Amino acid sequence: MQESPDDSDLLVILRHGPHGSSWLREGLDAALVAAAFGRCVSLLFMGEGVTALMPEQQVGPLGQKGTAATLEMLEMYDIETLLVDEQGLSDLGLSRDDLMLEVECVSSEVLASFLSEHRLVLTF
Amino acid sequence: MLLHVVNRSPATSRVYQQALSGMSSEDRLLLIEDGVQGALPQLVRYYAEVEGRLFALKEDLESRGLLGRCDASVQVVDVDGFVELTEEAERTVSWY
Amino acid sequence: MASTEIYRYLIINQQHYRLDPEGYLIDIKEWTSEVAEALAKEEGITLTAEHWEILHVLRDFYARYEMAPAMRPLVKAVAQSLGPKKGRSIHLMHLFPGSPAKVAARLAGLPKPTHCL
Repeated sequence: MQESPDDSDLLVILRHGPHGSSWLREGLDAALVAAAFGRCVSLLFMGEGVTALMPEQQVGPLGQKGTAATLEMLEMYDIETLLVDEQGLSDLGLSRDDLMLEVECVSSEVLASFLSEHRLVLTF
Repeated sequence: MLLHVVNRSPATSRVYQQALSGMSSEDRLLLIEDGVQGALPQLVRYYAEVEGRLFALKEDLESRGLLGRCDASVQVVDVDGFVELTEEAERTVSWY
Repeated sequence: MASTEIYRYLIINQQHYRLDPEGYLIDIKEWTSEVAEALAKEEGITLTAEHWEILHVLRDFYARYEMAPAMRPLVKAVAQSLGPKKGRSIHLMHLFPGSPAKVAARLAGLPKPTHCL
């Protein structure tokens, strides 16, 4: 397998939105732990997971913390590759400009190559 | 080559679409747990684009009474076959 | 994660401050400079201006991101606020020996950092 230094490490796929379940938070935690230990981490927001990037998120009705602060913290952990599944966005009638962070949109055709390029892939 | 594993039925979950969009042309797809419903002739059409690279877990088909109802295009593997598929793949990616 | 289990109290001038089993303040809002000094004393640290500026970086980090940073992001945050000379793990190790991210977070009144062992 070919490995290039930039894209050969961990890819974390986030497929769930905030508040509805703890998947998103757990996926972000996994990414942050890996980054804290020096791994090169990329995030891929897929399907419903793109809603994690909506601006103006609030605390949940039961006082659950949102994930917006954590997303803003990613750069402090040097997690800079943020990919968004184009299909997931358009399924929800959203575009890249609607999101709170700078992201790279990925079409279905290129998506598969990202999965093969990373040495580790975790789906959440 | 990656082995993708799906454990949800295409009749109730759209996770199969995410798995398919994550698959390269060499990758294989294994259906397990409720995912084996996708091996039924009525549902196997969802996996048309990966024909020949679609597998279903025998034990899960059996326990659901679906073993004899699998579409002919699906390759049925038992747990040992699952292990072999895993060994042949560089990595496994789970979709659930 | 912030623990809510009260394990013991830090007592300063008859004021009781709740601490979790690992000695972190349960309520971040109760933090004062006296609390920081008392916690530092437990660690055998006398707080100097160099310590205080790190504690303030940590307080700011928490205010912005709602989490206490692990070592790497702490180093990065310190470098951003105090310059590259101070934003180095050796500097933090010197000020907060042992596990700087954990010790400094405790003295800053933050919960234990989540993303380090």
